Amino acid sequence: MTPLSNMSPGQRGIITGFTDESRVSRRLLEMGVVPGRSVVYLRDAPLRDPMEIQIGSCCLSLRRSEAALVIVNPER
Amino acid sequence: MITAPGRSARYSGVVAICGNPNCGKTTIFNAMTGLNQQVGNYPGVTVERVSGRFEAPDNPRHKFTLVDIPGSYSLSAFTPDEYIAASVLFGQLEGEPSPDAVICVIDATRLERGLYLLLQIMQIGRPVVVALNMMDLARLNGIRVSPTKLSRRLGGIPVVPVVGNRRRGIDPLKREAARAATQSPKERRLTFDGVTEGLIKELAESSGRNHRSRAQYLRIIFDENGPAEREFIAREGSAAEAVLRNGRLRIREKHGSLVVAETQALTKHAEELYRVAVRASRLSDLTLSEKIDRYLLHPVLGPIVLILVMILVFQSIFTWAAPFMDMIDGLFSSLADTVHGGLGEGPLRSLLADGVIGGVGSVLVFIPQIAILFVFIALLEDSGYMPRAAFLVDRMFRWCGLSGKSFIPMLSSFACAIPGILATRTIEDRKLRFITILVAPLMTCSARLPVYAIMIAAFIPYKTYLGIFNLQGLVLTLLYLLGITAAVIVSFILKKTFLKAERGTFMMEMPSYKLPTLRSIGIRVFTRVKAFLIRAGTIILAITIIVWALSYYPRTTELSEQYAGREADLTSAYEQKTTVVKAGIAELTAGTPENQRQLAGDIVSGFERLMDSNDPQETRRLLNAEHPGLADLIEQHYQLAMLRLEYQAALTRLANQQAGERIRGSYLGQAGRRIEPLFKPLGWDWKVTVSVLAAFPAREVIIATLGTIYNLGSEIDRQSTSLIDKMRNAVWEEGPDRGKPVFSIPVALSIMVFFALCCQCGATLVTIRQETNRWAFSAFTFAYMTVLAYVSAMTVYQLLIWVGL
Repeated sequence: MTPLSNMSPGQRGIITGFTDESRVSRRLLEMGVVPGRSVVYLRDAPLRDPMEIQIGSCCLSLRRSEAALVIVNPER
Repeated sequence: MITAPGRSARYSGVVAICGNPNCGKTTIFNAMTGLNQQVGNYPGVTVERVSGRFEAPDNPRHKFTLVDIPGSYSLSAFTPDEYIAASVLFGQLEGEPSPDAVICVIDATRLERGLYLLLQIMQIGRPVVVALNMMDLARLNGIRVSPTKLSRRLGGIPVVPVVGNRRRGIDPLKREAARAATQSPKERRLTFDGVTEGLIKELAESSGRNHRSRAQYLRIIFDENGPAEREFIAREGSAAEAVLRNGRLRIREKHGSLVVAETQALTKHAEELYRVAVRASRLSDLTLSEKIDRYLLHPVLGPIVLILVMILVFQSIFTWAAPFMDMIDGLFSSLADTVHGGLGEGPLRSLLADGVIGGVGSVLVFIPQIAILFVFIALLEDSGYMPRAAFLVDRMFRWCGLSGKSFIPMLSSFACAIPGILATRTIEDRKLRFITILVAPLMTCSARLPVYAIMIAAFIPYKTYLGIFNLQGLVLTLLYLLGITAAVIVSFILKKTFLKAERGTFMMEMPSYKLPTLRSIGIRVFTRVKAFLIRAGTIILAITIIVWALSYYPRTTELSEQYAGREADLTSAYEQKTTVVKAGIAELTAGTPENQRQLAGDIVSGFERLMDSNDPQETRRLLNAEHPGLADLIEQHYQLAMLRLEYQAALTRLANQQAGERIRGSYLGQAGRRIEPLFKPLGWDWKVTVSVLAAFPAREVIIATLGTIYNLGSEIDRQSTSLIDKMRNAVWEEGPDRGKPVFSIPVALSIMVFFALCCQCGATLVTIRQETNRWAFSAFTFAYMTVLAYVSAMTVYQLLIWVGL
């Protein structure tokens, strides 16, 4: 288990939960970052922030601080 | 038969239309209502209230009010703005009729996201109609959605396939909405787990007589500390509050988190619906987009491409537009000549030739540049590159207090600050949104382009470096960068001082790349050019006429008489001198032998012929070489030609002097010279000062004003109708610099810097008021930008003078 922000580009994982119940977490959930779904960490923007992830057929960009709220079970 | 107005204007109901941001809701709204729209604000918030009317296609006497609900991803509400949108749907906003039916617009290419919102809306318990938009695009992307299967799975809710921008499916949508609005409300419940369902029941029991929909109870339960919870507790008291607290504890026990409990359940249902409704989904486009992004979002290549794209845009604005601009310029020049030839001297001729054609015409020349700019903006937006650009610059923008989300409004502001300010609606954080609104007018909008274009063309040399970069393009790029830099600094200061923004979010969907359609680009370029033409035909024309009148009147006969006298003096002096020379010629001719008379005649005509293409000295030299024996005669003719040239030059000087004195004595001149000292530190003479001041309602006006002033200031010199030549020839009329050119590189740069930073746009200030609901923001924008513009222009001018440019 690790925060999404600690994964490395190209890595996959399964979302397991959130660190808090803030509005940011809520918005992430509404955008489809839901426990149980698999996530691919696609890439970083220049200066390593924000980052782009793929969930299902949808690509999302989010900041590192926002990705830190998402707990992921990374694939080896 | 004519029906009574009271009967024909019968409204059968209210329909609300909602959907995700960018799902095409507004296009469908426009297609349904046409021009029957009313725009207002919900009291006390910045949410715009747009409503319109439509009639049932099969029964035109059934008319409905259509209310546009701001786009959102869910009904969950925390800020006042979000709560307003949800309250209208719930029918609990005071003074708002409760909707009889809800149209939920879903973007077929982002089906799951839309289904999530739809599931929440279904819990309201009102009849729902689904408008499945962008069906064509979805099919292109390999997503085949079946409306019938989706409808069946949703328990019979009508699902209407729509292509909003082609107006396809609009009539069936109206029909279904009209039918739904007359049905009785029905709750199509989506069952949550036992704990949540139990809590909804308990809350309904503890709230006595106040009826609420399931959707409202869900908001009370899941939006902890949100406005729905506050309203519930205030009405139902502490017993109900305790029930709510206990219930939440049970949900947390089971799901670990309150937010996960709701969103997980809804996502699961949405996924199920997706599987049923989507027949074949090949994700080829995503992988293609993914492949492109490998390069365009590359940490090193990405920013380089972004910079190259921006340079390409600005360079092509200059190079591609040039031939078209010359064409338009030529058209107006010949039009002015026709008017000049066709009408007699007087106010009407001056109004048409100098005021209307000279003024408005010089603004219309910039249509090609504006069209090219909008082609590029439309290309970048429609292709899906804009969100990528936001992604690339977010980190940098955050450093100065903005977010990557501010990038899209800022980039739109390159076209015009007004759509830019409207685009800030996607920024959720209020303070961040205000900062973006306040700095958006600093971005170089298309109205500044004509001003830059004319100043650069006139005063910046056309030099090319490295084969592709020319100095004019580079100066233009620098001016764009100046606007951006100023925006960065101002937003940094605003963030550090009185608009201390909390951390905004940067969650954004990356749409897949799309091939922009010619039609959609054409429409957008056309709309923009039309708006520009309307501005030119109304506000610019009006100001031009006022400026013309102020610079044409008062028209004293005294001055005309005085100059007529001086002209007569010049003429008689010229005639006296020519008489002497002509007498000399006659004498010489009489003395020449008969056989040489013919030759003398040749010399006269030779002079006349050669004078057109050569100067007198050159003509004399050529004739001397041809007729070595006639040196004396040639010399006399040379004298005659010189006298004629001197006379003509003196007449032009006199006329220009008269025109100059006229305009100086005009109302505009009197006022301008009084305020000239205020703008002297910027290097401006009174003509520039007046033109800049006249351009405060709309900045392009300066071109028209300069055109009018300089046309009036040079009645005779009609060979060069171009404003550029006139500005190049303009000289100081008085003071220590008398006779020196008004426009130098420092003056041109000082004017451009002033225009880069000043908020000379009434429409922008009105839009800021509309979007922020406060005049104070408009006043602040105007004040800070004017001060910034003055100080910066002065600094640039004084600095350039100091280094000796």
